[in-house]
Amino acid sequence: MKRRKTGPSGVVEAPLDPRTQARAKEEGLASVEAGRLRTYELGDNSRRFLELLGSRVSRPLAVSLTACVHCGLCAESCHYFLARPDDPTMTPVWKADQIRKIFKRHIDWTGRVAPWWVKAGSPRDDEDLNRLKNIVFGTCSACRRCTYNCPMGVDTGLLVRFARGLLTELGVVPEGVFNVSRDQWETGNQMAVSEQDYLETLEWMRDDVRTELGDDSVEIPVDREGCDILYTINPREIKFDPRSIAQAAKIFHLAGASWTMPKWGWDQTNFGLFSGDDKLGAFVARNVYEAAERLRAKRIVISECGHGYRSTRWEGYTWAGFDQKLPTESVVVTLKRYIEEGRIAVDPSKNPDAVTFHDSCNIARSGDLVEEPRDVLRRVCADFREMYPNRRENFCCTGGGGLLSMAEYRPLRLEVGKIKADQLRATGAKLVCTMCHNCIDGLNDVIKHYKLPMRVVQVLELVSNALVLPAKGA
Amino acid sequence: MSGFLKILENEVQIAALSFMAVVYILRLAWIFHFRTRRDRTFAVGRASAGAGYSLLNIAMPRAMESTRKRPGFYAQFVVFHVGVAAAIAGTLIIPYAPGLFDRRPVVLLFQGLIAAAFVVGIVRLVRRLNNPVLRSVSSPDDYFSLVLLIVWFAAAVLAVPNRPENGEGPLIAYFALTAFFLVYVPFSKICHYLYYPFTRYYLGRSLGHRGAFPPAQAGGVRKARGKERA
Repeated sequence: MKRRKTGPSGVVEAPLDPRTQARAKEEGLASVEAGRLRTYELGDNSRRFLELLGSRVSRPLAVSLTACVHCGLCAESCHYFLARPDDPTMTPVWKADQIRKIFKRHIDWTGRVAPWWVKAGSPRDDEDLNRLKNIVFGTCSACRRCTYNCPMGVDTGLLVRFARGLLTELGVVPEGVFNVSRDQWETGNQMAVSEQDYLETLEWMRDDVRTELGDDSVEIPVDREGCDILYTINPREIKFDPRSIAQAAKIFHLAGASWTMPKWGWDQTNFGLFSGDDKLGAFVARNVYEAAERLRAKRIVISECGHGYRSTRWEGYTWAGFDQKLPTESVVVTLKRYIEEGRIAVDPSKNPDAVTFHDSCNIARSGDLVEEPRDVLRRVCADFREMYPNRRENFCCTGGGGLLSMAEYRPLRLEVGKIKADQLRATGAKLVCTMCHNCIDGLNDVIKHYKLPMRVVQVLELVSNALVLPAKGA
Repeated sequence: MSGFLKILENEVQIAALSFMAVVYILRLAWIFHFRTRRDRTFAVGRASAGAGYSLLNIAMPRAMESTRKRPGFYAQFVVFHVGVAAAIAGTLIIPYAPGLFDRRPVVLLFQGLIAAAFVVGIVRLVRRLNNPVLRSVSSPDDYFSLVLLIVWFAAAVLAVPNRPENGEGPLIAYFALTAFFLVYVPFSKICHYLYYPFTRYYLGRSLGHRGAFPPAQAGGVRKARGKERA
């Protein structure tokens, strides 16, 4: 791999810090001992990387690695490049080429015979692997906007995740990625929420809803068998902002839903999507699917989370080798159904402020939900307005791809957030609604950094605000 | 016509084409030896519809922001590839249906198409040399393939009148380059057309299954075809 000078962003040279990994090893964490969570080891990592590369390339990956014609059309679809137009290392094609050149050198034909002719190359040492780590983790949010804009259909988002997965096997990962993976392996949820915290928070939210509605029959059932809905959430809802749990509980109660939350398998988020670790992805997704089976639920409902939705609804079944048996849907789809069926009544005048909607990349581009949240928002908001571009052409909140957990890349992330800030500002809205917890944090960072006069909300909050409560005693 | 040119137009081309076919068969076998994974989820849309949409994307400049915002680039793409098709057709018409090029309008049409592609080739080469993004990713193969095509277009423009009696130089250059192309293409970026159906199919199949391809009309929610929202 040809050595290059530090990129203008400086991100490429961020060092690998394996101290947390060494500590985890010393402590004898179960996931490390069992070889599920890999730690960085000194040794011939380049050779190991190449072995993994050779054994893991799938057909869709192989053709994406060979098909690029270097036309450069992807450049202007990437918010990194749009914000740093003088830096070619920010383009999807350049980032993908750092993976592609290794594939060409070791697996493709021409590169094996005449590597210089097609710019093929090998990682020579851990320094090169670290540089690749910084490119695939630090300069791409895997939003797949470039994938949608490639005339050849090259899936750069897939390539980036693939490279992340190889590096994760070697422990060549940002500290934050290791920490979150560790927590999810060890505790079954990515924020290491204890069972006690989880149950107490649910009780707390139940009591809040009871007080708000003046109705002591409100429940947040846990591990109740035979319910229609198994409701799964993002640990962030327990740890930082449980109001969304209360909002969901209130709506489920008013809709007369039969629902429960599981004691184990409640985390619908999945860091395996970000780290590229299919084993972790399978473990977390299987927890949810098995919880639904154990409790004989009829449907899995996923709270508002972009990567959680993509992982649980789409990728997780494949990672886990688990044939889907139950409908698995976003809570936004559930809300839409309740409104359409008249199970809850809403009044849009209760949300008078101008609201715009931010499409989560994982839901809009890698999933199926584009119009559903808009249908709901039009019914619960007095002034809904689009931002442009929108739907599958929307720009990333800057927090995608697990970047919120990687502090070393934060300055670059905020710098390229200018594209999102411009989009938000142009709407003139006071509220930006999103159905993703990562997007909440990503958008909040952008709003704060660029001093935008707006606040982030979720669909649940707006629906909850708009509810027309039945008269007491009715 | 000299014996050399006759052999070059026939036997050499057939040999080169056969070599290309063999390499392509091996290449396809190489692609198929990589595994794929079965999608285990309930569908929202139809994978086949997604794949079809994705494969036809090439003819839908409005479908992608990258081509929608740069109609000139898309027009270049069309002109360039139509020129390639015309130049390839020329290599078949001259030895097997030479009468077609007895008609002056046909010759002028072919010359026009190929000359336009030649100009686009020059524009593309200048762009590749000037644009820092393209320079940063371009390999010797990228430059060589483009230069080769430009030279081939030039030879084709001169050769398609098919007048060996006026000098065989252009025809020899055209067919010698064509033979070289047939041998070189499977190992270069030019064989991207072999991969196009695969990349677009796999992307389209996956996104079609999820209901993302083809995109629903704004304002309308896709009708669920799977079990998800029944």
